[in-house]
Order: sequence, then C-alpha cells, then structure tokens
Amino acid sequence: MIITKKKDFQELMENIKNYQKFFLVGCSECASLCGTGSEEAIKELAEALRSEGKEVTGGFVPKTGCQVLGTKKELKAFKDALAETDCILVMSCGAGTQTAVELFPDKPVYPTNDSLFLGNMTRFQMFDERCSLCGQCILDRTGGICPVTTCPKGLLNGPCGGMQDGHCEVSPDIPCAWVRIYERMKRLDKLEEFRESVLEAKDWSQAQKPRSLSTREKKEKK
Amino acid sequence: MSFREALESGKFVVTAEVGPPKGTDIEEMIHHIELLKGKVDAVNFTDNQSAVMRMNSLAGCKIALEHGVEPILQMTCRDRNRIGLQSDLLGAYALGVRNVLCMTGDHVSAGDHKGAKPVYDLESVQLLRVVDALNNGKDMEGNDLKGSTDFFQGAVVTPEANPLEPQLIKFEKKVKAGARFFQTQAIYDIEKFKEFMKHARKFPVKILAGLVVLKSAGMAKFLNNFVPGIVVPEELIEELKAAGKEKALDTGLSICARHIKQLKEEAICDGVHIMAIGMEDKVPEILERAGLL
Repeated sequence: MIITKKKDFQELMENIKNYQKFFLVGCSECASLCGTGSEEAIKELAEALRSEGKEVTGGFVPKTGCQVLGTKKELKAFKDALAETDCILVMSCGAGTQTAVELFPDKPVYPTNDSLFLGNMTRFQMFDERCSLCGQCILDRTGGICPVTTCPKGLLNGPCGGMQDGHCEVSPDIPCAWVRIYERMKRLDKLEEFRESVLEAKDWSQAQKPRSLSTREKKEKK
Repeated sequence: MSFREALESGKFVVTAEVGPPKGTDIEEMIHHIELLKGKVDAVNFTDNQSAVMRMNSLAGCKIALEHGVEPILQMTCRDRNRIGLQSDLLGAYALGVRNVLCMTGDHVSAGDHKGAKPVYDLESVQLLRVVDALNNGKDMEGNDLKGSTDFFQGAVVTPEANPLEPQLIKFEKKVKAGARFFQTQAIYDIEKFKEFMKHARKFPVKILAGLVVLKSAGMAKFLNNFVPGIVVPEELIEELKAAGKEKALDTGLSICARHIKQLKEEAICDGVHIMAIGMEDKVPEILERAGLL
C-alpha cells in the first residue's frame, strides 16, 4: 500500500490560511490503514480546523481515492457541501490528491499528508518499504528479497564492505539486504545460484517518468 | 617498472594512498607525492573518501603523473551514473592513468553532504565489467570506441567481514568480472589473513594486504567499534597501551612494519597497501623499519 504521514498541522494551516470553508476527502484504502484518511481522521481534522476558526462544509471517505471515475460518482452525493466550499483538502496520497485536482478544475486542492513509499504493514500502523516499483522485477534472482529497495545503495551483486555483523553501514537498524538474501538462498539450498548469478546493470528506462499502462486493448480482443 | 609489471614479475609491491585536498591548495598533496616518489610502486588517489566532498581523484592522478609517480585511480559508483563513469574512465586513460580501482563507495550518509542523491547506477562488479569492455574497445552497451583503454583494473575485498561467505562470493564475482588485483580492507591478524589468502590463492589475482597505521589504543578501539570489517586483536591494543601515550605512535609504526616484514618474508601475499590517513609522511619510515628501503 501507499504509506502516508500527516503533515505538520501548523504547516498545513499556513498553506490554507487564505481559505475559510473546507471539504475533506479521505480514502478507505491505504490512507485508512495508515490512519491518515479514515472517517476518524476526517473527524479529527474537522475539529482541529473548527478550533482554528475555519468552517467544514462536509467530508467523506471514497472507496478508492486514486480511482478517478469511481470517486467522481461517489462525490455526486455531496454536491451541496462541495458548492459551498472554497478549498478541498485531500487526506490520502499524492495520487488521491490529483484525482481531486482533476475533478475540481475550479477549486484549490491541498494535500494534508506527505506520501512516503510503497510499504508492507508489519504490525498495526507499522510499515516497511520492500518494493520500489522499479519496473523490472529481479526478485526471481535474489531469493525473493529486493536489494534495489532494501539495500540503501541498491547493490545487485552482494554486500559492500560497509556490512558489519549482518547490518548496514547506513544504520545498525537496517539488516544487510545481501546477508538476508545469502541466508535465505542458503536455507533454500540455492547457494550455487547465489554464487553464479551476476546481475547486469538495471534498465532504468523501465522507470522513466511519467509511467502509464493500458491493458484495455487485450481485454477488448477477448 | 610499472605497478602492473612489478606485480606480474612477482615483486612484493608497495602502494600508498593520498587523499586529494578539500579545496584547490595542492601544496600538501604534492609534498606527499614527492615524499612517496621512488619509495612505493604506485599511489592510490581516493574518490571523495567517506563521501566527504573533495578535489576529484583524477586531478590527483594527473598531478602525480606530472611528478613522476604512478597513480591508481579510485573510482566509486556513488556520484556518477554509467555515462559519467565511462566518460571519466576514457578521460583518465587519455591523461595517462593506467590503473583503476573499482569500488562501490561509502554511502552519502557517512559524509558531509548528507542530502545528496546517491547514484549507484552501477556497482563494483558491474564497473569492473565496464572497464573490461572499455579495454576491449567497446562501451558497456557494445558500441565501438575510437581507441580503447588498457587499464590494469583492481577491486577491494574485506577479509574480516562477518559473515564472511557472502563477501568471499562477491570477491569471486569481482575476479570473474575482470579484477586483476585486490587491495584489502585493513587487516591486523596475520594468522586470520593467511586463512583468507588460502582461499584467494585459488584465483589468478594479485592481493595487496591493506594496512592502516595504529596511532593509539584509542584509535584501535574506535576501528573495532565503528569501522565495518576491521578487527584489531586485543594483544595489539595491549601492546599500544603498554607503550604509553608518548610511544604509542612509534609502536603503531613498528607494528605496521612488523606486519609488512612478515607478509613479505613468508610470501603470504603479493604486496601491501598502506593507508596512512593523515600520516603520509610516516610511510618512508615504516618502509625503512620493514627493511624495504
């Protein structure tokens, strides 16, 4: 999921100081699991805004904030509250915010969160980055552990000289990705593969921004 | 005799290391180059060592050449993408550099520009392959070069890494990728180093043992606690302590000289790489004590 973190409230207030009436948009997916875009988060922010003398004309949690047409449909029920507002606050990720930008060409839209990374939830509201969407998956070559993401240098062919007792030179809190890969492949009796495999330089053209994908044609052929 | 010829002839070689200055004042660097001239086989010029921004390695190499000292260009993958690395390698060759040491490079978080974007478009194994390609007249995409390089390429290895096996496997990958010589991370336990050499001797590469001069017991403890892959045995720390504050450095120089002597006399490896780190002017004295001058 996309991991988000609330912006500092004072920073948010500074960003929106020229507006008075707000409509809040959360998201029932990632931002709800992160606690940044849930019903509860909307209530909390609405209260905080009111205590600062602002008005809240309404708010809701779309099912999937990055789904443009679905969100547009859901928003129809809030026509009046939206007509009254002079600023939309989006409490999900940068994708959700830009859904709102597309749907409200005449209204200012501000994010209340910072979007951080694609993460795995390890415990309640604890998240780790394990995939960086590089566009060219190498997990089939690395025992299923991604060094592009979990090694701060993104090394592709083994640990660097900064590894100390299985930890990273960048921080002792980071386990060395390549020691983890080594240990896993050893456990799976794949050390020979670990030894023989030399990964080529990555093709970063696969990660050239902005990326887009359409699988429509295939479906229509069916 | 060039560094490469010396190693290939079986001579016990000595390399030292000079860090280019942070700034444009090259007086001290030239002093160190002159001091090492005729006493070592080649001098490494570090590449923004510890991710601290300094003058580049290539300028140091060129200045060394002008002063009659053979340089080894250290090249890390931290600050340049594949285009920058290849382009700098071609430029280095055109300027007369013949030796290159391929390394990954300390992470930017260790240095003085912590907000810098780390590059690592390539890493050490891939960079070695790139050098091999340039030596064969091609860039890494297989495009023809107008004039190829003829670099003598080396790499680094950490004999005291823990766990050791993944490091040894990476060492093998570097050998396969074309590394001809290795300069090791600092070693202090010769018996343990012999174990590493037993493994390394299976491969057709030259090994230079890395040596860092101990200035005090405090420095030894610092290395043990904070520098990955360096283990200073307790008895050396005791030896430095016993020498007392005033004689600690002298003892450190003697330890370094003693190790060089043993490495050479017992033909444990093919040479030594002395990293004096701020004590470049002591290198001739170490070599004298080791009986190499």
